[in-house]
Amino acid sequence: MLETLLPILIFSALGVAVIGAWRRVRLWRQGRPSAVPLLKGLAAMPRRYLVDLHHVVGRDKVMSNTHVATAGGFVAAAVLMTLVHGLGLANPWLGGLLLLASATMFVGSLFVARRRRNPPARLSRGPWMRLPRSLMAFSLGVFAITLPAVGILPAGFGHWLLGLLLAAVVAWGLAEMVVGMTWGGPMKHAFAGALHLAFHRRPERFSTKAGGEGRSTGLKALDLEDPSAPLGVETPADFTWNQLLGFDACVQCGRCEAVCPAFAAGQPLNPKKLIQDMVVGMAGGSDAHYAGSPHPSQGLGGKPVGEHHGTPHGPIVAREGKALVDAETLWSCTTCRACVEECPMMIEHVDAIVDMRRFLTLERGETPNKAPEVLDNLIATDNPGGFAPGARMHWAADLDLPLIADLQQVDVLLWLGDGAFDMRNQRTLRALVKVLRAAGVDFAVLGNEERDSGDVARRLGDEATFQSLARRNIATLAQYRFQHIVTCDPHSFHVLGNEYGELGGHYRVYHHSTYIAELYESGRLAFRPWKGGSVTYHDPCYLGRYNGEYEAPRNVLRALGIQVSEMERSGFRSRCCGGGGGAPITDIPGKRRIPDMRMNDVEATGASLVAVGCPQCTAMLEGVVDAGAEVRDIAELVADALVARPAVGAFDATRRPQAEEVI
Amino acid sequence: MAFDAIFQPIEIGKLTIRNRVVSTAHAEVHATDGGMTTERYVRYYEEKAKGGCGLSICGGSSVVSIDSPQGWWSSVNLATDRIIPHFQNLADAVHKHGGKIMIQITHMGRRSRWDGYDWSTLLSPSGIREPVHRSTCKTIEEEDIWRIIGDFAQAARRAKEGGLDGVELSAVHQHLIDQFWSPRVNKREDQWGGSFENRMRFGMEVLKAVRAEVGDDFVVGMRICGDEFHPDGLSHEDMKQIAAYYDATGQVDFFGVIGSGCDTHNTLANVIPNMSYPPEPFLHLAAGIKEVVSVPVIHAQNIKDPNQAQRILEGGYVDLVGMTRAQIADPHMIAKIKMGQVDQIKQCVGANYCIDRQYQGLDVLCIQNAATSREYMGLPHIIEKSEGPKRKVVVVGGGPGGMEAARVAAERGHDVTLFEAAEALGGQITIAAQAPQRDQIAGITRWYQLELARLNVDLRLGTRADEATLLDLRPDIVVLATGGHPFLEQDPQWGYSENPEESLVVSTWDILSGKVAPGKNVLIYDTICEFSGLSAADYLADKGAKVEIVTDDIKPGAAVGGTTFPTYYRSLYEKEVIMSSDLLLHKVYREGDGLVAVLENEYTGALEERVVDQVVVENGVRPDEGLYYALKAQSRNKGQVDLEALYAIQPQPCLSEAGDGFLLFRLGDCTAPRNTHAAIYDALRICKDF
Repeated sequence: MLETLLPILIFSALGVAVIGAWRRVRLWRQGRPSAVPLLKGLAAMPRRYLVDLHHVVGRDKVMSNTHVATAGGFVAAAVLMTLVHGLGLANPWLGGLLLLASATMFVGSLFVARRRRNPPARLSRGPWMRLPRSLMAFSLGVFAITLPAVGILPAGFGHWLLGLLLAAVVAWGLAEMVVGMTWGGPMKHAFAGALHLAFHRRPERFSTKAGGEGRSTGLKALDLEDPSAPLGVETPADFTWNQLLGFDACVQCGRCEAVCPAFAAGQPLNPKKLIQDMVVGMAGGSDAHYAGSPHPSQGLGGKPVGEHHGTPHGPIVAREGKALVDAETLWSCTTCRACVEECPMMIEHVDAIVDMRRFLTLERGETPNKAPEVLDNLIATDNPGGFAPGARMHWAADLDLPLIADLQQVDVLLWLGDGAFDMRNQRTLRALVKVLRAAGVDFAVLGNEERDSGDVARRLGDEATFQSLARRNIATLAQYRFQHIVTCDPHSFHVLGNEYGELGGHYRVYHHSTYIAELYESGRLAFRPWKGGSVTYHDPCYLGRYNGEYEAPRNVLRALGIQVSEMERSGFRSRCCGGGGGAPITDIPGKRRIPDMRMNDVEATGASLVAVGCPQCTAMLEGVVDAGAEVRDIAELVADALVARPAVGAFDATRRPQAEEVI
Repeated sequence: MAFDAIFQPIEIGKLTIRNRVVSTAHAEVHATDGGMTTERYVRYYEEKAKGGCGLSICGGSSVVSIDSPQGWWSSVNLATDRIIPHFQNLADAVHKHGGKIMIQITHMGRRSRWDGYDWSTLLSPSGIREPVHRSTCKTIEEEDIWRIIGDFAQAARRAKEGGLDGVELSAVHQHLIDQFWSPRVNKREDQWGGSFENRMRFGMEVLKAVRAEVGDDFVVGMRICGDEFHPDGLSHEDMKQIAAYYDATGQVDFFGVIGSGCDTHNTLANVIPNMSYPPEPFLHLAAGIKEVVSVPVIHAQNIKDPNQAQRILEGGYVDLVGMTRAQIADPHMIAKIKMGQVDQIKQCVGANYCIDRQYQGLDVLCIQNAATSREYMGLPHIIEKSEGPKRKVVVVGGGPGGMEAARVAAERGHDVTLFEAAEALGGQITIAAQAPQRDQIAGITRWYQLELARLNVDLRLGTRADEATLLDLRPDIVVLATGGHPFLEQDPQWGYSENPEESLVVSTWDILSGKVAPGKNVLIYDTICEFSGLSAADYLADKGAKVEIVTDDIKPGAAVGGTTFPTYYRSLYEKEVIMSSDLLLHKVYREGDGLVAVLENEYTGALEERVVDQVVVENGVRPDEGLYYALKAQSRNKGQVDLEALYAIQPQPCLSEAGDGFLLFRLGDCTAPRNTHAAIYDALRICKDF
């Protein structure tokens, strides 16, 4: 009986799955076109899966092995089952392999079941709770029906009722594992995920066999010249089709939720929920079936589900009342990329958030709180604080900094960033100048020709102001010759290095910690031994996760004789200070402040000092009331430790000693 | 950006100043080596530059000519090329920290003393005597005039060759240039006096000669008065005319403006306004000058607070603010603003200890900052954390010495407890601040309160420490700063008793603290002649009492400095307080409801009587030594301070010697009664090495 039933079951499942796939693809195709090489992508998919994706999954060894066993077992079992039971190739070898595959899958599913027994809060419930049983049904069912195929049990063993029962179990398994893959349900991730890897909108983020680093973190420019291109994303269909595909790949594992600083602070953003909101919108409907942690809400445990709804062509953010997502959810993001870094499905949350912010800012002018003022300032004064543009160099009036306009050509262009207007950051800049001078670096500054890099404007969705600033900076930089740019601002570092390229500005940009590390390694700096207390290091998001620079700052600290007491969340898992993405400007309230949490992380190490490498981090962390640790930029620590240069020679009235005071 | 007006750089001539804060010219009185700037001098200005000061104009009243004596105030001598290498050290030290430095150059004319050094004949346009220095002088001759004009040019050259950034020609405080300007002093009828142009001529020739010598790339400014406040002197309108006249030459790079003339005791007090003045009392005069000139204007006079400076600069009244005493109190003021530590700035309280010492020919020191002008000795403005063991330090007494000891020990990283018997910190400062016009002295305490809170010092207020309490804390170091009490028991004839019902006399502390109600008809006997007697007189008169203040010294308030006794006198005369001198308090006795004070003339022995209802005696302080002697024998060092080490600013040797038990130090009035500065200096130099 089974010999008759199984092929029917298998091929019907495959057939229904194909129909489901077609329907699913149609959902994705609602999105705007995106030029990705399809065949190349498909060819690259296995490597992207086995190397890049597993690099992320492999951070959790148990889950990684569980997935290898379950998914590997399933894929092998599905193929072999089609051969053995579908096409009737009753070869004992194939049967044996099928037994092995299904047994492996079963073992894996035991681990899945174990995880689901008392699942952490980040995991979604709902249909996901039945997955272990479905996995077991499939693996056990397939195992059982294959036993006769290898002769362990006689063919036609047992009562016909047993056969029917087995067929039902297999049918259950097939429904979840094959039909569910394209029609929805937990296994959707396998189908969407595989295609998402193949057609990812950032193919450059994957490693290459040639040893390419595989990093792509710069936001993609809007084509402001194209009148048909929407200014950002208003409706789900305004995303590109492969972005929609990406959302659909989400496995709701909640790793993003677990690392999101806004979520932890009780601000109304759960990145996992946001992605699911997009999935709801793409298909149309409400979020009532969402079974994970909601977006946090002040006063409530979280925003109740079922109140938000959307359609593919309806607005994501309502002008009034509720649509798919509340604007405050989008403005809570610090663009720290912790979610993207952790996402095993390689989903690009930050891109999506900025896309939606672009629409709110450019089309609706609904940038909240202080943000309109900041954007107006950027338009009027080229700096976010609205300071007189001519005041950019006031901090260095006594330093006689060489202007590149006077020299035309230097080794290093020191990019100041808007910290030049901030009294705290001026100390960092002065320290950096002292260090560059101590090392005899040939450098100059743009002076009043420098403008804000556009980072904040861009992250607040004001692509037009970003591009205006960027193009003018690029035009200024094009007048001069320099080997590279050095900056103490990771945001400028990122924007100049990774985002100006698309607009025609290509530079070699160094974060000051990287540059100082190189100066030290080449013997151009010498330090006194460290005498202070215990030190920890806070990785700035735009240096670490955005640019992969985790080692240079630590190398510098090591060179100073400091043994870094690492925080639990450090390196690629560093927790944001709360200062990125314009978050301090949009200032969405939560239950706690992100920098407070970060200073708690600092204090948990027992460190009396936290070394940072970002003006924004410095400002955020220093703003914490009654903090137990001092906040100092790496440049300041280095400047303090410099071994004094030999005394100057004979007096010369025409020569002035260079000022080297840090304060 | 907060304080952005302060941190806006400015061009003076061709020189860029990094911010708007100036340390204006004052006599430092420690360029002691024959007018050559010493190590002490250089470190003093280096500290200001390190602390962020934009421009220092050093060397108040530095002389250009051999016949303008420099020794009285140890001012800088620019009359010789010997000064050039000294300037080079000075310029390098300041430039290294991004600061700029200029020097005031002048000929003092009649405003000096002749009875010393070269026994010079002082000079003045018309030979009129100057009252403040009791200086007679010769009428200047044409030859002298041209010689001195040449001396100015040579002095400016020396400043330039020494690497300084500029010179300020002093035409203020009745120096020679403004002696020519002022019709009050210049009665000449030749080309150097009479008409406006003639009176201006000397200064103009000086300016032209200096500019011709130094060229365009060296700053030349002028310090002028905004109004002499003498009916026969230069008025504000006159000064505007003068400023515009010199400005029109295009050869002056800046004007520094000071309100008030300076050749009487009463006007001199205006020049460096003490705590009785309102903030920036003469800003309007500087603003008036700014209206008529085309170059930056600097104004100093009671600008002590960064917010005040920001407000003045933002308002555009002047271009740069002189915060001279502010930076004597805290040379790191600018750095602290930049560090976001405005609350940590030690603010000048206008006690004028600095300038009053200067007028006595003593080195300029700060009443509340013992490190100022002692930088060369290694006394720190910023106390470094100790690298040695963390110690339990117990300080007894919350007066200036005790507060400084607690602060310094806490900055060193120790665990500090401070006991104060009163409910509030301050000690004698709290009492002093009760007098009219003297309330700002409490600023000293306010700063310590903030610092001790910031440093988490365990304050036990309202707690009188005894031996057992102290030992219970198992201290490593005990610092006693228990002060003393008014010394009324010295002469039994005065009738002092510890029982207030029986005592015939009360102390100035009793009066000022409000412990004893003011009488209606009061005799104050003040043998000390410092602030407390005058303060008590002013306080009592303010409460409506009829007051006579009597001293056996030369005159009441004789020991109060030159910028402060005039403001007391203004108040006391206005309130009809009688001031009598040369009388000893012989005896006090009760008669009916009243008291009879018998006074004895110092010189004739004649007795006279006053019938009053209250007798206040100011006879200084006796140390409170009880606790010291209770602890002395148990302490490891037997309470002894190693004087060699103390005076050499070296660590007390016992700090590094091993042993059991605690170390005991005492400082301030509980050792020997001195003043606020002495107590703070003791505390700093003892505790800096804890």
